[in-house]
Amino acid sequence: MITVSSLTKSRAQVRVLHDVSLEGAEGTVTALVGPSGSGKSTLLRCLNGLETFDAGQVTIAGHRLAAGPQAPGLLERLRRDVGMVFQQFNLFPHLSAVENVALAPRVVLGLSASDARARGLDLLDRVGLRPFADARPATLSGGQQQRVAIARALAMRPRVMLFDEPTSALDPAMAAEVMEVIVELARAGQTMVVVTHDHGFARRAASRVVELAAGRIAREGLAGDVLSADGLASA
Amino acid sequence: MKSLLGALAVVGWLTAATVAADLDEVVARGELIWAADQEGGGPHVFPDPADPRRLTGFEVELAALLAEELGVKPRFQQGQWDRLPLLLGRAADCVINGIELTPERLRDYSCSRPYFGYSLQLLARRDGPVDTFHTLAAPGPEGRWRVGVLTGSAAESVMRSRSDLEVDVIGYDGTIDSLEQVSSGVLDAAVMDDCIFNFYADRFSRLRTVERPFAGGFYTILTARDTPKLSAAIDAAIGRLIADGRLKSLYDRWDLAGRQQMLMLRDGAEIPVARRKTLGELARDTLPLLLKSAGMTVLLSCLAFPLAVGIGLAVAVGRMHGPTWLKPLLTGYVEVLRGTPLMLQLYAIFFLLPKIGLALPAVAAAVIGLALNYSAYESEIYRAGLKAVPLGQFEASLSLGLSKWQALRYVLVPQAVRIVMPPVTSDFIALFKDTSVCSAITVIELTKRYSVLALSTGRIVELAVVTALLYLCMSWPLALLSRWFERRLERPAADGTEG
Ligand SMILES: Nc1ncnc2c1ncn2[C@@H]1O[C@H](COP(=O)(O)OP(=O)(O)OP(=O)(O)O)[C@@H](O)[C@H]1O
Ligand SMILES: [Mg+2]
Repeated sequence: MITVSSLTKSRAQVRVLHDVSLEGAEGTVTALVGPSGSGKSTLLRCLNGLETFDAGQVTIAGHRLAAGPQAPGLLERLRRDVGMVFQQFNLFPHLSAVENVALAPRVVLGLSASDARARGLDLLDRVGLRPFADARPATLSGGQQQRVAIARALAMRPRVMLFDEPTSALDPAMAAEVMEVIVELARAGQTMVVVTHDHGFARRAASRVVELAAGRIAREGLAGDVLSADGLASA
Repeated sequence: MKSLLGALAVVGWLTAATVAADLDEVVARGELIWAADQEGGGPHVFPDPADPRRLTGFEVELAALLAEELGVKPRFQQGQWDRLPLLLGRAADCVINGIELTPERLRDYSCSRPYFGYSLQLLARRDGPVDTFHTLAAPGPEGRWRVGVLTGSAAESVMRSRSDLEVDVIGYDGTIDSLEQVSSGVLDAAVMDDCIFNFYADRFSRLRTVERPFAGGFYTILTARDTPKLSAAIDAAIGRLIADGRLKSLYDRWDLAGRQQMLMLRDGAEIPVARRKTLGELARDTLPLLLKSAGMTVLLSCLAFPLAVGIGLAVAVGRMHGPTWLKPLLTGYVEVLRGTPLMLQLYAIFFLLPKIGLALPAVAAAVIGLALNYSAYESEIYRAGLKAVPLGQFEASLSLGLSKWQALRYVLVPQAVRIVMPPVTSDFIALFKDTSVCSAITVIELTKRYSVLALSTGRIVELAVVTALLYLCMSWPLALLSRWFERRLERPAADGTEG
């Protein structure tokens, strides 16, 4: 489902990713861990084309990304199959919760307004926010907002979901509700890549763990193996 | 309301505080300040083609002769022609600029004895359908004939009073603007003082005089009512210039038929003094016109502003997200429109486009000019608004599979629109007031109507109050409307499609 081979990227003459290769099989959850500045976000953003890279190759959900700028239209097709959830939620503040979720199905997939809304309500139900369907993001708690953001990404029925530190802007109680939703998705067999600092969460949700350090893969393996050997405790 | 009363008090104080300089003061100062509009052109007062820093014209020479008679030096004061009388007692001692002697002017100012006789001449294209004055009595192939005149001139009042003619009279601020417009086919004909056309005839070879002059009158020198000694001195001086032949030779030098002028001045017609209107008559005669012009102000604003916003938004989006080759073009568009005066842009659209075969009706030219000018400002506002939308919004949209343009349309622009609501609203009010500039291209909106009516009735203060109230009545609903918009945009949209 996901193959990254020899990916290299520099930013302003500084290498931020060195020769990174990894695999993510269908239905598995990969946790990306590592110290701050190690390149986790950059790698994740290379997976859906928010960042370009200098060498190597990415194959994800059947789409192939090469180094440098991408062919027109490729990224739009890829992103229909690859959802992303951000640390800062990035909900659309001018739209209600259900409109946030229904926008892409309507605009990108061409669903009718009522079908898109129905899909939006279903997904809000799934993340436990059906009663807040018509609320503006600003009136929701951080945890609720992140759950709406997850529902929004799911609305495209992506084959892969990418999460960039989905809980680190939240206090523990709210983080727990969001983790619950993600663990639930993992159980349902959703292929995912999750950047996180929370090893407990990684152990619960992820089957494999990849540790980055200074732009290189430091360690990788089964979640239980990598994380129980507490060499990562400081990360 | 308080501020309105304050404004009235200021107006009252200004009128009361006006103390005109009578003869003693002029002599003590050693200068006679005479007002005219050099834009009005020849043969009256115009920049010398050989040395444009110098003014020339038969009235420049007349002013010099009069000043010499009073034992002082002449000093020129520039003013807009139809508002020259307002300079009296403030910036000028007298007005010498082809001011026709009329009953209204006799009522409101002190008018000298006539110094020149003019005739009104109808002018049309050689190859055009207007070949007799009588042609104007029946509608033309395209309906009523369009006839240009100088705003505030005798030609204008004579043509407007001719209800027997099928003509729409269009007032211009520049003397020869109407000749340009006849020449380029925008107008069917023009009416002006014969001496002006005689002077410019060579420049407009496509135009010809239609029949002999059909009306006429006299030019007078205006002074303020409270400078009787100066008025008397000017009258006496004109008398001496006529008696000793200096005026005749001046006119002969300017090809103005000196002998014929002297005969006309000798037999100068008696002109009655106009009666001051009662307040009731004033309301009856001016309110409908003021209301109609207020409608024009609203029409211009409400057509031009949405256009400006639409173009501005497109330009802003193009500059930020368009193809690379487009960006410098759009930047140029914005800088040119912001860097040149609205008045100049209106002139270009109205007077220059017809020369390349693109004649627009005045209202259309005004709407387009306002819309283009304001679009430059709106585009800057929207650019700032788009920049203020966090990058994460764009990335989140792209991550959902939206194209750049879909992200703009559904996510970025709707948010930018909300962010820029306050400056855009205040621009709407600014444009509302800027509509008054359109009078330069013959559109009569409220301010222009006020100034025309105030001058013709002499009721400057009363009409100012009415006009101010009309503006208030219009801007109030506009303010309510924009507040309503702001509130509406705050609410979630039903299906998130707006923007
Ligand atoms: N916009 C940017 N411009 C320049 N350098 C950047 C930019 N964003 C990140 N970097 C640099 O790239 C490197 C990798 O950053 P990245 O954000 O991928 O790290 P991270 O592992 O996600 O860190 P964190 O845990 O703090 O989120 C860092 O050295 C960072 O300073
Ligand atoms: Mg990061």
